[in-house]
Amino acid sequence: MSEAGSSCTPCIGVIANPVSARDIRRIVANAGNLQITDRVSMLLRVLGAAGSMGVKKVLMMPDSGGVSAMLLRSLQRELQLQHNFPQIEFLDMSPTTTVNDTFLAARMMRDAGVKAIIVLGGDGTHRAVVRECRDVPIAGMSTGTNNAFPDMREPTITGIAVGLYASGKLSPAQALVQNKLIEVSINEGERRDIALVDAVISTDRFIGARALWKMENLAAVYLTFADPQAIGLSAIGGLLQPVGRREPGGLAITLSDDPLLCRVQLLAPIAPGMVRTVGIAHWEAMPANQPFTVALGAGVVALDGEREMTFDSGDRVQLTLVEKAFPTVDVAACMQFAACNGLLRLSSQPT
Amino acid sequence: MAASNPFPLSKEALLTCYRTMRTIREFEDRLHVDFSRGDIPGFVHLYAGEEASAVGILTHLGDGDRIASTHRGHGHCIAKGVDVVEMMKEIYGKKGGCGNGKGGSMHIADLSKGMMGANGILGAGAPLICGAALAAKFRKKNEVGICFVGDGASNQGTFLESLNLAAVWNLPVIFVVENNGYAESTSRDYATAVNSYVDRASGFGIPGITVDGTDFLAVYEAAGEVIKRAREGGGPSLLECKMVRFHGHFEGDAQTYRAPGELEDVRINHDCLKIFSAHVLSAGVISSDELAAIDKSVLALIEDSVQQAKAAPLPTLADLTTDVYVNY
Repeated sequence: MSEAGSSCTPCIGVIANPVSARDIRRIVANAGNLQITDRVSMLLRVLGAAGSMGVKKVLMMPDSGGVSAMLLRSLQRELQLQHNFPQIEFLDMSPTTTVNDTFLAARMMRDAGVKAIIVLGGDGTHRAVVRECRDVPIAGMSTGTNNAFPDMREPTITGIAVGLYASGKLSPAQALVQNKLIEVSINEGERRDIALVDAVISTDRFIGARALWKMENLAAVYLTFADPQAIGLSAIGGLLQPVGRREPGGLAITLSDDPLLCRVQLLAPIAPGMVRTVGIAHWEAMPANQPFTVALGAGVVALDGEREMTFDSGDRVQLTLVEKAFPTVDVAACMQFAACNGLLRLSSQPT
Repeated sequence: MAASNPFPLSKEALLTCYRTMRTIREFEDRLHVDFSRGDIPGFVHLYAGEEASAVGILTHLGDGDRIASTHRGHGHCIAKGVDVVEMMKEIYGKKGGCGNGKGGSMHIADLSKGMMGANGILGAGAPLICGAALAAKFRKKNEVGICFVGDGASNQGTFLESLNLAAVWNLPVIFVVENNGYAESTSRDYATAVNSYVDRASGFGIPGITVDGTDFLAVYEAAGEVIKRAREGGGPSLLECKMVRFHGHFEGDAQTYRAPGELEDVRINHDCLKIFSAHVLSAGVISSDELAAIDKSVLALIEDSVQQAKAAPLPTLADLTTDVYVNY
């Protein structure tokens, strides 16, 4: 491990996607649009809190979507106000404003030995980080559209939890939790990818504007977990047969509007503000390490809300649930442990 | 060849879109050559590299829908159906051009096609399209107005005022920010306090989205939704197309602000025509012979337009005082 991640100079990484929550669901579904100013405010809060816990250095992904530029301006102002922040160092990379930026930044952060990566984005951004970097713990903050994977939480608390872990006040056993994912393989590994929450099979056969919102095109849904309170396609499973994040296995659902095949008609919030009728033909548990083969002949695999992989007749698409696949910082557990063990008490009177 | 077409357009429509994009590319590349030879008076700003935006959006429109363009307007004109020969004559400053050779590149217009004009003033198209959209709203024919601006022009007061006006009047208008990464030669981070065009719209309560402007299919699908929304009374929206330009801001621009190798990368990896061709060829919907045939006929069209432009007469002194005022 390099000096950046050693306990004497605890270092974390931050990947803030400037273009999450910018897709067509703002037009077709009144989805929210977290503004750049709000994302930078979140960053200032999380960085300030992590710094208060002893994090000295932060590696940040640069971007050309406005986050880096505004953060730099804000930090200059904060210095004038005598507020302390960790040293912020931008990675030496040229932003392309594509998902490749996230892939590259995650690799560079892992190579630099960061103790954890804080991610600002939705399900898709988190998926991109994990795809490149399964071994570094991530702490997610919701700035996307569905946000089934990242927590909705005040960034200050996330910053404290990550700071406690990165500075060595919490051990991995105390701070981290393992997560499930779905591995997607086309033609025995010719093409591979992953999903953290949902892998959805659509009859669309092109990537286009990426998001999925037309129920009539959906054929099957594979889920790592299914929360009844989730928004997005995982809500279908959440309202059909909930599966917890920490439970073993996932859920596989076959969809159909054909009256001969449809066993259940379900109302589900498939996007923010968009509650639709979903016809369900079949559902079953998805045990770990057991490949499920897609029945549809040609279509597209959408991963965590975005169309990513097209396939045609003759392609063999398989999905496999993997348990204990990557670690995240369990913010709630960190804070509970910190409170119970007095980690934030600076002094105490004997009782 | 596969029997089914996976795309949201018919094969014929895809071929038409390819022809239009290829026409824009050849038109601009020819101007690049002719301008450097000194054949063309005035200034030109070339649209090559950005074709997927104009064609992906304007394919959804009819002649009753209106657009307001920019200083980089040739692509919008061609995609809106303006005659290529008349455009070439205008740029060559010859009689028979769209403005009888008196306007040039930045004043090409054809009201019969709903093309309200290219515009030499940055951000000036935004208030104009609000007027057109207000008229469309009163006409009740479900027509829309589309205004194109560059990333630099989005800092102009006219643009911000227009967002406000469009929102309060709930106008059927789409503001398209064609973000090619450069405001002339100034970086956005330096010149823009909040470097997000979607956020600009949000400030006025207008929904905005960002799309890969080098992918025709992505632009086409997203544009279809924002235009449908406007036609159905859903009001204004903003569409940011992230794209690349193949030439300088203006012809003669040395482009010293670009990183080493950037232009080569852009032409190899972000060429919207190559991306489109790869999609339709790999799906087996269109053959390479069919694309090659279009390429050949487009080259002939552009060559013919240049020959006609060169052969056309210049405006005379007597033409100076005509077309100054127009009766409606």
